[in-house]
Amino acid sequence: MARVVILGAGVSGHTAAMVLRKKLSREHDVVVVTPNRRWNWIPSNIWVGVGLMGKDDVTFELAPIYERLGIDYRQAKGVELHPEGAGDAKHPFVTVEYTSDAQRGVREDLAYDYLINATGPKLNFAATPGLGPEGNSLSVCTFDHAAQTAEALRAAIERMKGGEKLTFVVGTGHGTCTCEGAAFEYVFNLEFEIRNAGVRDAARIVFLTNEAELGDFGVGGLQIQRGGYVVPSRSFAESLFVERGVEWIVGAHVSRVDPREVQYETLDGEMHTLAFDFAMLLPPFTGVGLRAVDRAGEDITAKLFAPNGFMRVDADYTAKPYEEWKARDWPKTYQSPLYGNVFAVGIAFAPPHALSRPRKTKNGTVVAPAPPRTGMPSGIMGRTVALSIADMITKGATSPTRHASMGEMGAACVASAGVGFWKGTAVSMTMFPVVPDYEKYPEAGRDLRHTVGEIGSAGHWIKRILHHLFIYKAKARPGWWMIPE
Amino acid sequence: MSVRSEQSRNAMKPTGWVLFWRTFMPYQLWRFVIVNIRMMVMIWKSHG
Ligand SMILES: Cc1cc2nc3c(=O)[nH]c(=O)nc-3n(C[C@H](O)[C@H](O)[C@H](O)COP(=O)(O)OP(=O)(O)OC[C@H]3O[C@@H](n4cnc5c(N)ncnc54)[C@H](O)[C@@H]3O)c2cc1C
Repeated sequence: MARVVILGAGVSGHTAAMVLRKKLSREHDVVVVTPNRRWNWIPSNIWVGVGLMGKDDVTFELAPIYERLGIDYRQAKGVELHPEGAGDAKHPFVTVEYTSDAQRGVREDLAYDYLINATGPKLNFAATPGLGPEGNSLSVCTFDHAAQTAEALRAAIERMKGGEKLTFVVGTGHGTCTCEGAAFEYVFNLEFEIRNAGVRDAARIVFLTNEAELGDFGVGGLQIQRGGYVVPSRSFAESLFVERGVEWIVGAHVSRVDPREVQYETLDGEMHTLAFDFAMLLPPFTGVGLRAVDRAGEDITAKLFAPNGFMRVDADYTAKPYEEWKARDWPKTYQSPLYGNVFAVGIAFAPPHALSRPRKTKNGTVVAPAPPRTGMPSGIMGRTVALSIADMITKGATSPTRHASMGEMGAACVASAGVGFWKGTAVSMTMFPVVPDYEKYPEAGRDLRHTVGEIGSAGHWIKRILHHLFIYKAKARPGWWMIPE
Repeated sequence: MSVRSEQSRNAMKPTGWVLFWRTFMPYQLWRFVIVNIRMMVMIWKSHG
């Protein structure tokens, strides 16, 4: 009998748990430890943030699903890993702290044979003074944040209807943010809703981003084959911004958010301020702050985790200049190099390097979009690691049997640009691979046959269908396992 | 609805014709099929 403990029930952890439960017989335990009571389809938080969806549209209770599937669910957060056990007890365990109302603050040691760290990001609002819903800006990263943002938008629209002219700032709240695609989606949904409300002329909308150019998306941009040309994603992105009347500021590190003013530095070293009435700025991400301790009680956090708190896995972490970065630096199995029964998937693993060229301002401030680990790769990692562990348990495999490198995997992304069956549109993109591979594809780093994008209603319909499909799958409804990540 | 003019001048702008096709139902139904096929190919290539 084996016990697999999964920390985190987001896209990657929930996928891993469901796949493991399907693959392993009931003599084996699958345990999910996650502080949230409800599962959240995070991509649709964008629509919550403009008031088109509510909490129940994008979340559901986890407990009944796990009970039905036979997964042992603990509403708790992992705090400390003991991969060698402690003292004379050699069995590895993880210390968890309950977050449920009934047991809040109670700690327990959970023994494991295999551990999957799928804890996602800590939303590091503290990196920028004044950033975030507890400061002076808004967010759409959680459904509560998004609901609060929708309220603020509603109030702003009322003010514009009353004759005021307002400035909206949307983007990234620090030079090292990731998830620029989410900010991109939000700005166009916001613009669309303001236009629908009939007050577009009263709104100045500014996109403030750490990307050195629009269309970078933290993946170093894309070269897209279209109309007989190979065109940089920048051209398409700028075109959309101009068409929709959204201004942009690129290469920006936000250094401070005051009640109605954002301070930022650009790559030329200039310091600027921008007054706003409404600001939705994403935070940078770090790891969630798990500690690790060896059998003797020594802190080994710095061995297991990178300085940003994400877990080291089978990647090549040698520091090297941008020109020497290779797709093969990226991990394949997501196994910890120190402990063969520990894995990290989704946002929780430490990327070996960025994808977008890191830059510094003239004053030395780092402006370096972090690499996104979006839903599809995160889900695939969760499934891949689950299958490897199942093989290790049932077939006695001594090393992971499955691979899923972001250097060999593609991604399909649909970025909403406004909601509506007839007038709604979205950008549908596929890229292959996610991590550019200039050895294999010297021209553009990616396979141009599979790196394509277009905008139209079709994309919106797909986005809408995916919303329902992924929630259906996450609820483990009949045939869920046939729906790919 | 004014974008800073130098940003606007340097970007490609879609014509009315391009905008029309983006939401023209019969054409978008066709694109729906094509984009879905593309995504299925990507999913197939990525689930090693
Ligand atoms: C606003 C927004 C829009 C997005 N839109 C898209 C999109 O359109 N398409 C797309 O592909 N991707 C999108 N993404 C990215 C996508 O949400 C992520 O790729 C995905 O959620 C990553 O999955 P994950 O499992 O790594 O992390 P998460 O989904 O964040 O899950 C992490 C889980 O770990 C739990 N946890 C945290 N700390 C602990 C702890 N100490 N112990 C145990 N559990 C813990 C959390 O509660 C959570 O359940 C978007 C992201 C945002 C913020």
